[in-house]
Amino acid sequence: MAEYALRRTGYGLLVVFSVIVLVFLGLHAVPGNAVRAQLADSPGITEEEIAKRTAALGLDQPIGTQLLHFLGGIFRGDLGRSFVDNRSVASEIGERLPITLQLGLMAVIISVILGFAMGMLAAVRQNSLMDHSLRVVSVSGLSIPNFWLALLMVTYLAIYAGWSPPLVYEGPTQNLGNNLAQTILPAIALGVAGMAGTARLLRSSLLEVMQSNFIRTVRARGASRATVLFKHATRSSILPVFTVLGLQVGAILGGTVILESIFSIPGLGLLVFRAVQVRDYPVVMGCVIVYAAVFVLVNLIVDLTYGLIDPRVRYR
Amino acid sequence: MVTTTTTTAATTAPARTATWRRSRWWEFVRTQRLATVALVIIVLFVVAAIFAPLLAPYGATEQIRTAIRHAPDGRYWFGTDDLGRDIYSRVLYGARTSILISVTTVVVSGAIGTAIGVLSGYFGGRWLDSLLQRIMDAIIAVPGLVLLLFLAAVLGPSIRNTIIALIILIVPAFSRVARGEMLRVREEPYVEAARANGCGTVRILVRHGLPNLFAPLIVVTSLLFAGVLIAESALSFLGIGTPPPTASWGRMLSEGTRFLEIAPWMVVFPGGALTLAVLAFNILGDGLRDFLDPRSRR
Repeated sequence: MAEYALRRTGYGLLVVFSVIVLVFLGLHAVPGNAVRAQLADSPGITEEEIAKRTAALGLDQPIGTQLLHFLGGIFRGDLGRSFVDNRSVASEIGERLPITLQLGLMAVIISVILGFAMGMLAAVRQNSLMDHSLRVVSVSGLSIPNFWLALLMVTYLAIYAGWSPPLVYEGPTQNLGNNLAQTILPAIALGVAGMAGTARLLRSSLLEVMQSNFIRTVRARGASRATVLFKHATRSSILPVFTVLGLQVGAILGGTVILESIFSIPGLGLLVFRAVQVRDYPVVMGCVIVYAAVFVLVNLIVDLTYGLIDPRVRYR
Repeated sequence: MVTTTTTTAATTAPARTATWRRSRWWEFVRTQRLATVALVIIVLFVVAAIFAPLLAPYGATEQIRTAIRHAPDGRYWFGTDDLGRDIYSRVLYGARTSILISVTTVVVSGAIGTAIGVLSGYFGGRWLDSLLQRIMDAIIAVPGLVLLLFLAAVLGPSIRNTIIALIILIVPAFSRVARGEMLRVREEPYVEAARANGCGTVRILVRHGLPNLFAPLIVVTSLLFAGVLIAESALSFLGIGTPPPTASWGRMLSEGTRFLEIAPWMVVFPGGALTLAVLAFNILGDGLRDFLDPRSRR
């Protein structure tokens, strides 16, 4: 187990390292030069200023040197400074990451709770009207783009309930009510796809387990339907659902970009979106790396917790 | 799309007669009712895209100045937007943009991803495989939309660059499937026999590797179409994909966000078209999986 954990962690670090290198090389493949691309629209900029700025950012050094310098910085928790306001990228990300993580966590909770309820209901009432309608819901849930769903919710809540989410963000410690009012709709929109996927997987996995020999034995011993379902069957059928949880988190993280910009939630997604618009490369680079690191970390945790959920899993 | 599905499935099987192919096609229609409906919807979208100029009552950028944000009625089926453009016509033209982008993306990344996957799988465990897999893992590790934004920042916004970014996004999905399948095929006795008979690597890959990949690849292709449609619209929604005034569903949605309460039809119809297209590809993908691989029933 310890060896497995170590190996998985090492592999996770390797993936993050390759993301850093690829992102770095990708940005240096920008046609021309990053400073020139970023300042292209600024009026009255002289060649001299461009050269000065390039030197100040160390962009006139050979690419190998720059990469080493960048990697060294990351080790010290330094992701460089923003082109636009010269703020430290690391501290800006540090401020915004918790907001995105809160949104992501809410989405995961919604997707897991609703997905489990739907999946179990569909499996217990297999081939009933309920099962068929839940199937329609889950296929639609997988297909509906989260940003469209969010727009529809805002529109119809405003028209029929006269309610719209607050436009100014407040942290959960400042004003919990407003914070939740602003984040609940994007969290639902982000969670729906995961909910649909979870429901579908859990249904098929439950149906398979319910036909297995050990469930027949449990039934034969006189266990009630509820005991069979909740105590025995669910536990055995969780694993495939849990496996895709890591992937769902990836989709949720990607979705935060678009939903944070719709609901003006100042998280990491809004930061990277704004930075892309003004070509603030250090910020873009920092955000991509942090997003990837979070995704890799979540998948690592999922991998390592397999054994806790299902002791049959052997670590190799 | 119809014919490629059935013929490629057919070429992997021993009998290759026309009648056999036709009966296989009927079997799909008979056993996968819902997927067949989905296929019809996809064909309708393609027809709408190709014949948009003939089917649309108004031009894609034509402004009807007397009808600004006109609610849907008999004349303007889906209403008009804030510039007085007919939304029904723009949804048809938007299908054109979406289908053009997604077809190009899926075809090119299918070719690149399959090539990478086949090479990687055949040389499984060696340095070429390791290198390719590390690159693919790095791409997968970056959440989809974040990766697209990064690539848009690097390349700059345009339709061509949107396609390039989308290709990079989905190449790993194709390569994973192809590699997995190739790792299996590599151990098959007939590959060994071919090698013993003196077949070169290229011949083994093309003659024995590729035909085995078609069934799994057809399934992912359909599902990836759904993903690409959403991703392209998301990018356009953020103002980074298709530049205006080209009609695109994502762009129409973002234009509608300013008028949610007074003109909800501006977001309802383009989003509905997008969802319907995505739904059709997802259902078709599921149907194809059940049909081509009966072991993996949902």
